[in-house]
Amino acid sequence: MRPLEYVTPHSLAEALERLAGSDPSETVVWGGGTALGPLLRRGLVRPRVLLGLERVAGLQDLSLAEDGLRVGALVRLADLSRSPVVRGSLPLLAEAAGRVGNVRVRNAATLGGHLAHADPAQDLPPVLLALDAQVRLESVRGTRTLPLERFLVGPLQTARADDELLTEVWVPAAAFGRRTAYVRFTPRSSQDYPTVGVAASLRVDADGVCREARVAVGGAAPTALRVPAAEAALVGGRLTRERCRDAAAQVESAVDPWDDTRGSARYKRAMARVWTERVLEDLASEA
Amino acid sequence: MTGAVVELWVNGEPVRAAADGAEFLAEFLRERLGLVGTKLGCGIGVCGLCTVWMDGRLVSSCLVPVAVAAGRQVWTVEGLVALAEGRVHNPPPGLPRPELVRAVHRAFVQCEGLQCGICTAGQVWAVCALLSEEPVPPEGRVREFLAGNLCRCTGYQGILRAVQQASEEWAQRAAP
Ligand SMILES: Cc1cc2nc3c(=O)[nH]c(=O)nc-3n(C[C@H](O)[C@H](O)[C@H](O)COP(=O)(O)OP(=O)(O)OC[C@H]3O[C@@H](n4cnc5c(N)ncnc54)[C@H](O)[C@@H]3O)c2cc1C
Ligand code: FES
Ligand code: FES
Repeated sequence: MRPLEYVTPHSLAEALERLAGSDPSETVVWGGGTALGPLLRRGLVRPRVLLGLERVAGLQDLSLAEDGLRVGALVRLADLSRSPVVRGSLPLLAEAAGRVGNVRVRNAATLGGHLAHADPAQDLPPVLLALDAQVRLESVRGTRTLPLERFLVGPLQTARADDELLTEVWVPAAAFGRRTAYVRFTPRSSQDYPTVGVAASLRVDADGVCREARVAVGGAAPTALRVPAAEAALVGGRLTRERCRDAAAQVESAVDPWDDTRGSARYKRAMARVWTERVLEDLASEA
Repeated sequence: MTGAVVELWVNGEPVRAAADGAEFLAEFLRERLGLVGTKLGCGIGVCGLCTVWMDGRLVSSCLVPVAVAAGRQVWTVEGLVALAEGRVHNPPPGLPRPELVRAVHRAFVQCEGLQCGICTAGQVWAVCALLSEEPVPPEGRVREFLAGNLCRCTGYQGILRAVQQASEEWAQRAAP
């Protein structure tokens, strides 16, 4: 038998204090527990303290201001998907959050836990990369803000230091109003992580010329990945079939997938191209 | 080290029981409290057999350490039955309405929404949660919502019919 304590500080200062003074193998941050739960059950992590964030004031907030949308780390994916504020400002984020796993996962999983978990096949990293998201990390030492692509370091690895909490995700207002889409390809059950997921956001002017583009892919590299070469292939011209194909070919050469139960590396590479092409062609045909 | 004493509310009753800190709610309910209506399948949040209601939301009890459940309101299918039978006097807000639970129960029986029954408690919770949120859900939404509750027996057709029937009955009652 092992004692396991669940502590729920009420303020961020208290939570950060607690984290700063602890051994990372003994004290583990608990968001919704949907990623940690299976690890705990199998004894792959053996903490003595779970630091629950659910009572920390402010981490559940969701606010829309002139500079963009801020989502507290403790906002649950179910709430993100239902929020009228998110649906209004970033419908793609709401929609993608509503497709993660199953209803029980979404009821428990938090946005902070989702990103901190950093499984390369997760859905929201490519979506948030396509929306220029930044994450806020706080510790007793101070606060820093990182673009999501610098936060995601490798499979289950992030730039978060042991004493830091991810407290907020910020999507700048510049990302509002773009044409956006995300497709997840799940050849196994619909509640599985996707084999590959492709997200894109485009700003197209009145003449049909693409002025801004973001293309990001999940499941096909050690982290979710933005593909600048694909974006460059789209910007500055009309969204013709050829341009979409060029961009998709760039994605195919940028990804770095591996074989696993969701598919072979070769298959994932090809699917990353196919799905990019489809996403872009869908966006191109949007009025 | 013997287990710590955990206190929580199960089906409206305060419960105190010894538990290993690293024990999970699914095992706690079944083995310490004898509430075996909640089943245990995959243990990783996929199958839905262990579905319970906790503080207003459905969760997989296989992923909730008892330490995390301490102090919370947990409802199992046994509590749902008590609710349907009118034996619960002050149900916490957010539990499905007793009439809805009765309609779902009837529909599962009449539409052959179950065979072996191992998935049924979870299915019933899911259907009650869905119809509480949206009394007349489009079929696509039903399928998407129930994708998280696996059934190896029915092929889902009976379950889908049960949702349809319960939804019709419930929408009629819910209408002003
Ligand atoms: C059955 C099932 C199906 C799934 N399907 C999908 C799917 O289709 N698509 C998909 O994308 N994902 C899927 N997932 C994964 C799911 O998205 C993640 O488990 C979830 O988002 C993690 O969030 P959480 O709050 O539960 O994290 P937790 O389990 O609480 O934490 C995850 C990690 O992050 C750390 N952490 C948590 N919060 C913070 C914080 N604020 N600051 C710093 N560190 C923190 C924890 O210490 C831990 O290391 C699935 C999971 C399950 C169980
Ligand atoms: S046993 Fe909990 S979801 Fe399968
Ligand atoms: S009735 Fe047997 S698994 Fe669903």
